[in-house]
Amino acid sequence: GTQIWASSFYKEDLEDNEFAEFEDFEDEERDYQQVQAQNGRKTEKVQEVNEEQDGEEDDAIVEDDESEFDHFQDEEEFEGFDGERVGSSVRMDERGAPEITITKVPLHFRTDWDSFYLEILMVAGLVVYALNFFAGKSKNRKVANAWFTSHRSLLEENFSLIGDDGTKDNENPGLSKDSESVYTLWCSGRTCCEGMLVELKLLKRQDLVSVMAQFIRPSSDQVHIKVDMNKEDMDSFVFCLATKRSALRLSKDMADLSIYCPERRSVEKYGLPSNFSLLCEIVEVAASLLDSRIVTIINKYADIIEYIHFSDQFSGPKQSEDFNVTKLPDTKKVLIFAFNIPVKGKAIHEAVIQMRPLLQFVFYCMDKVKRFKLSKEAKNKAEKNRLRVEEAFLKTTHFVRAEAAAARREEKKRQEKERILLEDDPDKQKKWEDREMKRQMKKKAPKMKQLKVKAL
Amino acid sequence: MHGTGTGSSDPRRPDKEHRYKSSPNTQGAPDDLIPDYMNILGMIFSMCGLMMRLKWCAWVSLYCSFISFANSRANDDTKQILSSFMLSISAVVMSYLQNPQPMSPPWSPVFV
Repeated sequence: GTQIWASSFYKEDLEDNEFAEFEDFEDEERDYQQVQAQNGRKTEKVQEVNEEQDGEEDDAIVEDDESEFDHFQDEEEFEGFDGERVGSSVRMDERGAPEITITKVPLHFRTDWDSFYLEILMVAGLVVYALNFFAGKSKNRKVANAWFTSHRSLLEENFSLIGDDGTKDNENPGLSKDSESVYTLWCSGRTCCEGMLVELKLLKRQDLVSVMAQFIRPSSDQVHIKVDMNKEDMDSFVFCLATKRSALRLSKDMADLSIYCPERRSVEKYGLPSNFSLLCEIVEVAASLLDSRIVTIINKYADIIEYIHFSDQFSGPKQSEDFNVTKLPDTKKVLIFAFNIPVKGKAIHEAVIQMRPLLQFVFYCMDKVKRFKLSKEAKNKAEKNRLRVEEAFLKTTHFVRAEAAAARREEKKRQEKERILLEDDPDKQKKWEDREMKRQMKKKAPKMKQLKVKAL
Repeated sequence: MHGTGTGSSDPRRPDKEHRYKSSPNTQGAPDDLIPDYMNILGMIFSMCGLMMRLKWCAWVSLYCSFISFANSRANDDTKQILSSFMLSISAVVMSYLQNPQPMSPPWSPVFV
């Protein structure tokens, strides 16, 4: 038995190629057969021993402690067991050994784990994403709450309603979470304004993809404060002071800015930092609005202030050029402030405290705009601008509106015809058809001037 | 510099309160479309993961539904996110049940 074992071991060394895995499989099979063969011989020996023992000690039955199930091996044990019939079903190949057909079973899952390295990588990526999600989510919540707690006292002095979750009796006022990175707060109940919407647009810290995009294109957390002014508390002007980068974006995106103040002006003469640029419909407005206090605040917080946008014709971003626009979008009088939260390199609490004066700046601007009145000629100029825009809009959409009106008329006529056809009594139908005929005739008849000749 | 302006001591007007009606987004920045794009992408990847039994497609669709969940807004309906999760998880499970071969990276030409 040892040579067979040695030779198979020797062969294994020779064929050390990528089928080594299958090689083992065949070796195991061959060893298994050898073991079977040895077992077979052993059991026969045991059977002979049993027979001799039975013969000698008929009276004392000695339990064969080697393996109580040996009697199963003995064919006579079972009545009606036909050894030949069972054997014949196994097909014999040419060498007489039973031909073994191995059914094709795919390698089972648990063969070897290390070939699943890509899957492990994927699962690890998912785990990292989930961890970052929870970490980013809690960081965003902390920043939002810090901003709210630090500004709460100031808000309570100026507004009677703070935080509105839209339900009827407003159970939980306070910050409402729009998404993992956007929190909104509605405050209302103050002079000169209908309400103030504070939107905390934080970085998407909860999304790993955005965190990585942040390294490529750095941006910062932002606070957008939009004050809806009362109709009577704001004069008609459009004014925007923004950093150069956002001025470019705003003048393209915003409908009112692109119409009323397309060109960007420099701000040096107002004593403002040079990284700002001005979009203003009437220059006189800028001069009178940017008083000393506002200029000092802007200079002091130049890196935090992103843009300031006062407009009485505000209607949001430019609508996409869909042609079925038949009427001007409704405009509102708003003051919009966008501030960056300087969280980088600072504790959240400290960064947010630093922004408190800016909220007072917002209230100061509200009162200033309320007191601000345009001069006469500025007022006329503004009104003229608005009328011109109105007419331009009407002209461009005239064609569309005419079409819409024609379509409406068509629709009315068709419905009327349908209603008449449904009528059951024929004479009403006849009368309607006569009237229709007459109308067609009149339309087709050549246009003739009817001359009234006075009877002399 | 108390923001009370001249004269009026207390600027609050409890009687002139306006309830917040979430006006359509006139803030300026168009609402970000990432969750919607990721949702659609996830659906497409899980479909092709299921049809063509590409394992890496199934995994990518799982990532897409995770990303769309992270960026989802409060007023998004959760059914859509749940369905995209179910689809991508079923794509992954199905592609492994059919043949538990380890995954081949997308750049290998063998169609496993």
